[in-house]
Amino acid sequence: MRNKILTVDDSKTVRIIVRKAFKPFDIELFEASNGVEGLAVAAKDLPDLILLDVTMPVMDGVEMLTKIKADPQLKGIPVMMLTAEGGRENVLKIAKIGVRDYLVKPFKEESLLEKAGRIIDLKPLAEGPGKARSILDPVDVLIVEDKPAIIQQIQDGLRHTPWKIHGVTTPAEAMELCARREPDLLMISLSLPEDAAFTLFRSIRTNVKLKFKPVFALVVKTEMNSQSQAQQVGFSSIITKPIDLPELEGRMAKAMNLDTSLRYFHIDGDFLVMSLPENTTQAVLAEAAHYLKPKLAEAVDSGLNRAIIDIHLIRSLHMGVIKILMQAMQTCRDLAMHFTLVGNGRIIAECKGFEDTRSWAFFETLGEAKAHLAAATDASAASSPPAAEPKRLVSA
Amino acid sequence: MPATQEITESLIRDNIVRAVDDVFRTMLDSEAVLKPAEDSCPACWPTAPARDSPASETHVVGTVGFLGDASGLLYLYLDETFAKHCTCVMLGMNEREIAEIGEAAVNDAVGELTNMIVGSFKNGLCSAGYSCKLTIPSILRGRNFCIEPISSAERNVYSFDCAGRRLVADILMKTDN
Repeated sequence: MRNKILTVDDSKTVRIIVRKAFKPFDIELFEASNGVEGLAVAAKDLPDLILLDVTMPVMDGVEMLTKIKADPQLKGIPVMMLTAEGGRENVLKIAKIGVRDYLVKPFKEESLLEKAGRIIDLKPLAEGPGKARSILDPVDVLIVEDKPAIIQQIQDGLRHTPWKIHGVTTPAEAMELCARREPDLLMISLSLPEDAAFTLFRSIRTNVKLKFKPVFALVVKTEMNSQSQAQQVGFSSIITKPIDLPELEGRMAKAMNLDTSLRYFHIDGDFLVMSLPENTTQAVLAEAAHYLKPKLAEAVDSGLNRAIIDIHLIRSLHMGVIKILMQAMQTCRDLAMHFTLVGNGRIIAECKGFEDTRSWAFFETLGEAKAHLAAATDASAASSPPAAEPKRLVSA
Repeated sequence: MPATQEITESLIRDNIVRAVDDVFRTMLDSEAVLKPAEDSCPACWPTAPARDSPASETHVVGTVGFLGDASGLLYLYLDETFAKHCTCVMLGMNEREIAEIGEAAVNDAVGELTNMIVGSFKNGLCSAGYSCKLTIPSILRGRNFCIEPISSAERNVYSFDCAGRRLVADILMKTDN
């Protein structure tokens, strides 16, 4: 359930500043311009936090606070004073009535969020479906590692991605960089001197803007104690050195919730092309299978009825590949899509060796497959509407 | 309770310089530098236009009072262009968006800017032993007008350079007896 914040301030400027500060978070915001209005809104909407000014017309903040604390229904709502009244005596007097925190104007947005974040959970707004990021979008990744060679290795290994990989060697540099621009993912080496990695991790988890960012731990494979400690404190993922870069890339994409379907599915003119990469690990096949039905259904929904299943990059056939190809072909049949296969000589030969794959027919190039599929589907459309059980196109 | 120190001109000056600088750095991400005394003559502004202001430009003046062991009023003078600029920065909006809301947005922002500066100034007085409270802000707007204190008020005027723009803090304090 969304947290609710009530701002009570006679200044529209302050209310706008507060609204702007909480805009990136999943918060329902209510506003009132004096104590009387504030009490009415508080009683009706029962906010999770009240930000209260002191000097206001009609009813000031001290009177409103006193009435809140005298009301059994409202007295449990945490109140944070947000006021230019900062003298010691004033603060003490108000503190005695009962406030959770006190922020003196002028204030920085970050201070407001930090203090509010200690009282209620400030969850970043989920991005809408239209705004979901894909692996083709630039994202910012920050590596905190005291060994520049490791930073370099990761930067080199992920150079083919549009990701911006920033590397720093100390926690202080990391926090400075985070203050300027929040990264989408952080990686912290557990080999930082003393307990610096865990101290930094705790700082990140208490920072309102960073607390929900994925944080990976980088650790030597044999350091089991550090790995166990990292798991206990809540690192999002443990990456062991030596680093398996393809695996790291996959985990990063998943942690950042990036749409990776473009690795396997793309539209080429009137065709949906499904392609599998050279290295078909279990993780790759699982990821491709995850997108299989939604992507084919999406293509049909947008008017495409021709699919090409391209496995010409694959070096050898194994059960995982056979299984996903069978799934893909069956899904095409279920959706009444025309489809064909593209493979290399070695794969085509290997297919002849299995009972289930013996009858599969391939083209050796995408161009040939497209031409054949286009001609076949055009002929099919001219003669009759697509049959419930569509023909499977085969090469000679 | 802190020992009360005499409200001297230097206590007033130190507090207003700290308050203006703090508010400008925090809310407007810019500096406000105290100008030499000769530039702070109250007769220079707003009755006569500032050197770098068009003669007929409207001025926006924010006022907030403080009442208690020390009582007085602070007027904060900005020309309209500067007031709009401050509003844009404080609200994170552009001039077109501010224009759509109208004068009220600028008035409210200058009122809040004054409230913060007087609040910070007043908090300094409280720390020096003069407990006082703020009044709600109000705004004066117009051209070629002059605010004159009554004879029993002590007046201190400070002019600030805010990245080439001028800000004047006119402090009127009630004197005893």
